[in-house]
Amino acid sequence: MRSFLLRRVLQLILVILAVTFATFASLNIIGDPLENLVGPIIAGTDCDAVDRGEIEDASSTGGSRTDCEIIREAEAEYNLDKSIPVRYGIWASEILRGDFGRSLITGVETKELVKNRLPQTLKLVVYAQVIALGIAIPWGVSTARRANRGFDRASTIGSFGLLSIPNFALGVILLWLFALRWELFPAGYDDSSLSQEFKSLTLPALTLGLGLAATYQRLLRTDLITTLQDDFVHMARAKGMPPRWIMYRHALRPSMFSVVTVFGINTGALIGGSLVIEQIFFIPGIGAAVVEAVLRQDQPVVVVLVALIAVAFVVVNFFVDLFYGWLDPRVRAS
Amino acid sequence: MSDHDPDLEPVHDDAGDVVVAGIDELPDDAVKKTLGWAFWVCLAWLGGLVAVAMLAPFLPIEDPTEFRVGPTNEGPSWSHWFGTDKAGRDVFARAVWGARISLVVGFFAITFGLVVGGTLGMLAGFLRGWVDQVISFIFFAVLSFPALVLAILIVTSVERSLQTVSLTLGVLSVAPVGRLARAQTLVFAEREFVHAARVIGAKNGRILVRELLPNVLIPMGALGLLGMGVAIVAEGGLAFLGLSIAGENAGSLSWGKLINESRSIRDLQNIPHVAFSIIGVMFLTILSLNFAGDRVREYTDVRETAF
Repeated sequence: MRSFLLRRVLQLILVILAVTFATFASLNIIGDPLENLVGPIIAGTDCDAVDRGEIEDASSTGGSRTDCEIIREAEAEYNLDKSIPVRYGIWASEILRGDFGRSLITGVETKELVKNRLPQTLKLVVYAQVIALGIAIPWGVSTARRANRGFDRASTIGSFGLLSIPNFALGVILLWLFALRWELFPAGYDDSSLSQEFKSLTLPALTLGLGLAATYQRLLRTDLITTLQDDFVHMARAKGMPPRWIMYRHALRPSMFSVVTVFGINTGALIGGSLVIEQIFFIPGIGAAVVEAVLRQDQPVVVVLVALIAVAFVVVNFFVDLFYGWLDPRVRAS
Repeated sequence: MSDHDPDLEPVHDDAGDVVVAGIDELPDDAVKKTLGWAFWVCLAWLGGLVAVAMLAPFLPIEDPTEFRVGPTNEGPSWSHWFGTDKAGRDVFARAVWGARISLVVGFFAITFGLVVGGTLGMLAGFLRGWVDQVISFIFFAVLSFPALVLAILIVTSVERSLQTVSLTLGVLSVAPVGRLARAQTLVFAEREFVHAARVIGAKNGRILVRELLPNVLIPMGALGLLGMGVAIVAEGGLAFLGLSIAGENAGSLSWGKLINESRSIRDLQNIPHVAFSIIGVMFLTILSLNFAGDRVREYTDVRETAF
C-alpha cells in the first residue's frame, strides 16, 4: 500500500506541474505575451513615446489607470524580461504562497474572485453528483433485478435518449418547463436564504445530474447483472434473505467499481458542463468568472482560474484512484 | 467461453479473422446479427441532413440572415416550417445553415482526432518503451484538463474562426482517441497472427499497416460516429459561452449559437419554438450518431465475443 501511495503521489505532482505549465505556457508562447496580458488595445500604446512626451497617456478601457501604468505593472508583475521557465517558476511559487495575482484590467484580486465564486460552483457540482447517484442507484438496481423485461428495455431507450441531449439543451428545456411554464423553481439565482438557494440550484444540478445518472445506471446495471450470478448471491437467496437486502447489502458494493471509475472522470465533464449551465441559470460561479475574464481578454485571470480548475480535477481523480485501490486490492498491485 | 459448446473453438485464418467452426449450431440471435432497421433510419437522417446542409445555398429556402422574410415571432406554418424569430428570420433556414457549421466542425474535429490520435496511439502501443511513456504521459496530462476548460484556454488566445474552432476541438479529441488506439494495439500486438507475420520476416511498418491497422480501424469507426456527436456538442458548449466562431454572417451560425441566441427568458416565454426546433434537430442528430456508433460497435464486436 505504501509504494502504491508513493507512486501515485509522484504521478500527481508530475501531472500538476505539467498541467499548470501548459496553462501558463498558453499565455506566453502563443502570440505576444504583453498583448495576451493586457489585450491588444492597451498593448498597442507606445510607452516610450509617452515618456518622451510625444503622445498623451490615456486610458483606452475607461478605467482609472492609464494604459502605460497597466503595461508597466504587467511587465513588472509577470517578469516579461526573463525566460519562460523562470517566469513559470516565479508565477507558480507565488500561487503556492496564496498570491493569485490580480486582474490588470479591473484591478480585482483573483483570490477574492475565487473566494466569491467558488462556493456556488462547488455546491452545484456536489449537488449534481448527489442527484446523479440518488437516481442511478435505485434505477440501476431495479433494472438489473428484472433485466430485459419491460421496464429495463424502456430504461435502455430512456437513458440512451438522455445521453443524446446536449447538457445546454437539457438546461433550456428544464428552465422552460419547470421555471417558466409551471413556475415550480426560480429561473435565476437567489441566495437570500438557504432554502431559496437550494431551490434555485435544483434545476441546474438536475440538468447536470440527469445525464450523469444515465451513465451511472448503464454501468451499474451491467456490473450488477454479473454480480447477481455469483455464488454468494445464490447462497444468500437460498438462505431466504429478502431480495432488497441482498441487492443493497450484498450485491451493490462489489458492483460499484465501474461507477467509481467514471465518477472521477465525469467530474471533469461536470466542471466543463457547469461552466455552460451557470450561464443558463445565471449562477455567479467560477464558470461565469472564467467567461467574463475571457470576454474581457483578461488572460492572467483566465490562466489562474483554468489552472485551479485543472488542479482540482487532477486531485479529485487522485482521491478516486486511492478510493478505488481501497475498494479493490488488485489495483494496488498493478 | 465456458458455457459454450467446446466444439466452437475459435480458429484464426490468415488475416487474423476468427473462423468459428460449426457456426450453424450457434443460437439464433448470434447468427442473425444485423445492424437492424433503426440503424438505417439513423443513417438516412444523417445522410439527408448532410445532403441538405451541403446543398443549402441551392435549396429554395430563405436567406438565414435576412430580416423580415415573414411576420416576426410567428409559430411554425406551411410557409415557414419552424416559424420565424423575433427579427422575422426563417428558423428552418437558420437550422439548415447551422447544420453546415455544426457538421463541418464535428466532422473535421473527429477526423483530425482519428488520424493524429490513431497514429500516435498505435505507435505508442506498438513501439512501447520511451515512445509509449512520452505519448502516454502527454495523453494523460491533456486528459487531466476538463475538455471544455482546455478548449476555452485555446480559443482565448486565437482568432475564433471556423478553422481555429475545428482545429481546437480536433486537438482535444487526439488524447481520448489515442488512448483507445493504444489499448487496441496493445491487445492485438500480442496476438498470434502478429507473431506469425514477424516470424516470416515482416518489418515493423508492414506489421503496423497490414496486420494491426485493420483491426484497430474497426473500433475506431464506431468511435468516429460517437466522437462526431461529442464534438458537435462541444462546439455548442463553446457557442453558449460566446466563444465559438465569431461574427454574425451565415458562416458563423451553428446550432449551439442558434440555441444560445434564442434562450433568453423572454424568448423562451414568447417564442419557444425557435429554441426548441433547433434543439429537436440537434437531438435527433446526436441520437443518430450515438445510435449508429453503438450499433457499429456491437456489430463489429461479434468476433471478440466469440472467445
